[in-house]
Amino acid sequence: MPADPTRPLEPPEELGAAPADDGSRDGESFAKLRELLLGEESRQLERLRRELDESELSVEELAERLPGAAALSSSQDDQLARALAPTIEAGIDESVERDPQRIANAVYPVLGPAIRKAIAETMAGFVNAINRAIEHSLSPRGLKWRFEAWRTGVPYSQIVIKHALVFQVEQLFLIHRETGLLLLHEHVDEAGTKDPDLVSGMLTAIRDFVSDSFDAEDEGGLADFRVGTLSVLVERGPEALLAAVVRGQPPTELRLQLEETLELIHLQFRQPLAKFDGDATPLEPARPLLHDRLETILTTDRPATLGWAPRAAWLVLALVVLLGIVWTVRSHLAWERTLRHLEEAPGIVLIEAERGLGGWRLRGFFDSDGADPGVVLAESGIDPQDVTGEWQPYLSLEPQLVLARTERLLEPPPSLELELDRGRLIARGSASPRWRARAVRLVDSIPGIAGSDLSDVELAPSDELNRMLREVEEVHVLFRLGSAELDPEPRTRVEALGPALARLLDLSRAEGYETAIELVGRTDTTGTEQTNRLLSRQRADSVRDALVAAGFEVPELETTGVGMSEPLRGEDPESTSRINRSTTFRVQLRPAGPASEVME
Amino acid sequence: MIQKKICMVGVFATGKTSLVRRWVESIFSDKYHSTVGVKIDRKQVEVRGTTVNLVLWDLAGRDELEDIKPSYLRGASGILYVVDGTRRETFDQVFELRDIAARTIGEVPSVVALNKSDLRAQWQLERADSSRLDDMGWHNFTTSALTGEGVEEAFEWLAKLTLGDYRGEVGS
Repeated sequence: MPADPTRPLEPPEELGAAPADDGSRDGESFAKLRELLLGEESRQLERLRRELDESELSVEELAERLPGAAALSSSQDDQLARALAPTIEAGIDESVERDPQRIANAVYPVLGPAIRKAIAETMAGFVNAINRAIEHSLSPRGLKWRFEAWRTGVPYSQIVIKHALVFQVEQLFLIHRETGLLLLHEHVDEAGTKDPDLVSGMLTAIRDFVSDSFDAEDEGGLADFRVGTLSVLVERGPEALLAAVVRGQPPTELRLQLEETLELIHLQFRQPLAKFDGDATPLEPARPLLHDRLETILTTDRPATLGWAPRAAWLVLALVVLLGIVWTVRSHLAWERTLRHLEEAPGIVLIEAERGLGGWRLRGFFDSDGADPGVVLAESGIDPQDVTGEWQPYLSLEPQLVLARTERLLEPPPSLELELDRGRLIARGSASPRWRARAVRLVDSIPGIAGSDLSDVELAPSDELNRMLREVEEVHVLFRLGSAELDPEPRTRVEALGPALARLLDLSRAEGYETAIELVGRTDTTGTEQTNRLLSRQRADSVRDALVAAGFEVPELETTGVGMSEPLRGEDPESTSRINRSTTFRVQLRPAGPASEVME
Repeated sequence: MIQKKICMVGVFATGKTSLVRRWVESIFSDKYHSTVGVKIDRKQVEVRGTTVNLVLWDLAGRDELEDIKPSYLRGASGILYVVDGTRRETFDQVFELRDIAARTIGEVPSVVALNKSDLRAQWQLERADSSRLDDMGWHNFTTSALTGEGVEEAFEWLAKLTLGDYRGEVGS
């Protein structure tokens, strides 16, 4: 029905005007009739009119309300965006189809910097890698890696990559870009962190400072900087910055990972970021994203693992090296010790000592009265066979050696002690006359002796000689009462005495004594003195005869009979009588004169 | 915890840095002023049971050679202007500084510290000056780095302003 939509719905004129004067009843009837005939249609018409009115209102107000409505909708959820997306995509398609230049022009300012940034970062990464490679190939570390490459058979470039990628992301700052306020901070436990709030602010300030100073805001601002082994990588998003404090060599992938993290945070926390008003709590759920970054990157810093075979090989090698070291150290210590012993040993002068591949070689002098080089070596735990020694004999004038030499030549008896006092020989104690005579004769010819004083040497028989004397003098050859005849048993004893007496004579002569052996015969107190004196003499002769008969005949043997004038004392009268019926020996020693010395 | 960026702005040698030194936590040295042009400190205040972490951007003072760097004002939730009460020109320049701030970041809650109140003899401001600030809706405090007068109050007031308190009252 063509009608002005603004006009209210009215009955048609020919129907409404004609029955006006027929009175109210007719009017009512007409209305009823009209209701019956046109009721449904008129209601429909009324509804349509209202709808048309309303839609007209909406169109007028829509333009006014649309921006607000869109803003409200997008703040509530992304329904609107979803609803519009296909239309916008279709619109873009349509526009590109019609005139591609238009879209290209619009996108150009965005696309250009994005492409430039991508290229710049790729180039920077490439240059970085080249720098690292050059740096490492010439350093000691580089040589170490070359050795590792040779040892493991892995290409050198891969070894470089493996080591160059050792790094650690120590701290991550998520910073609100507009205010510089800290949104989130994550760090590894061992990283020292100063006040992150202030660091975050200052980092923003420094970025602003750099951008202002170099008009570099369009370039993306300060992206990274290095302090020693620390790098700070700054990734910029529309609402927030992500700053990573990295120790070591950050690889290019790290920047990509940071970029992805920041993008993810922007995607998931668009509202909290856009509405940030100082309260960072709504961003708290993003913390695991940051934490993952710390952890993921840490895992690339894994230690190399080895299989059991290389491990065993390394172990064996290590053992061999260890043993080598131990052996070398021990050998060195033994060498040092041996040289020290040789130098300390009396009478050894070391002139040259060499330790080479062919073994040890020693050269020097030795005094035969001092230590024997071979013995010193053996005592130091060295087999003399392993050492080439060239030892020349010499005479040392060291007092110690002079004394040793003197003792060797003079052979002092144990009862005598020799001392050196500034080259002068002093003897204390006792010695035999013969020893002293010989010492006096020899002492001045001993090298190193400058004079001597042997006057204090007490002349005395040696202990051996004294013992022999005592043994002989204790012998009693007993006789029967009134008899001077030797019974068989005493005779046997006397005959056995011959060699002992011979030894005694030899020894006393050797010690420089003249010896007189007197056989003293005695009697008991029975009988007259005269008969007793005769009997005693016969008893002494009888013993001498027995000795002579046994082959012991020497001029030194004399006999005497003392009768009962020099009685021996027994324990009781009976034993006194018995032991006085005897012959005993009396030995007298007298230092021999010079003549006997000459004879020696 | 709520964080707010606060800028401290003033003419050279109005005592901004001294004013806060005793009252803030800091890890940076004063040399940042002459190099980067800003030094960042922190001041915590309690507002109705909420801890507010004021991150103070202490901007290098304005002088003949160099204006304050507008980029440092970006994102500030409030500004503390510092005036040297013994140098009248520093008071006059606050209005220029305010214009710079307004151009850069629009109107933000602001408080003025009339500093060096301990130097009564050299004081050059009058009650009318204070009233003039009041009329503009700027709350102002006389402060002294020496005695500490007014410092805490100024920060607390500013913290409340940034949280939206007193907004109607001040009318900014």
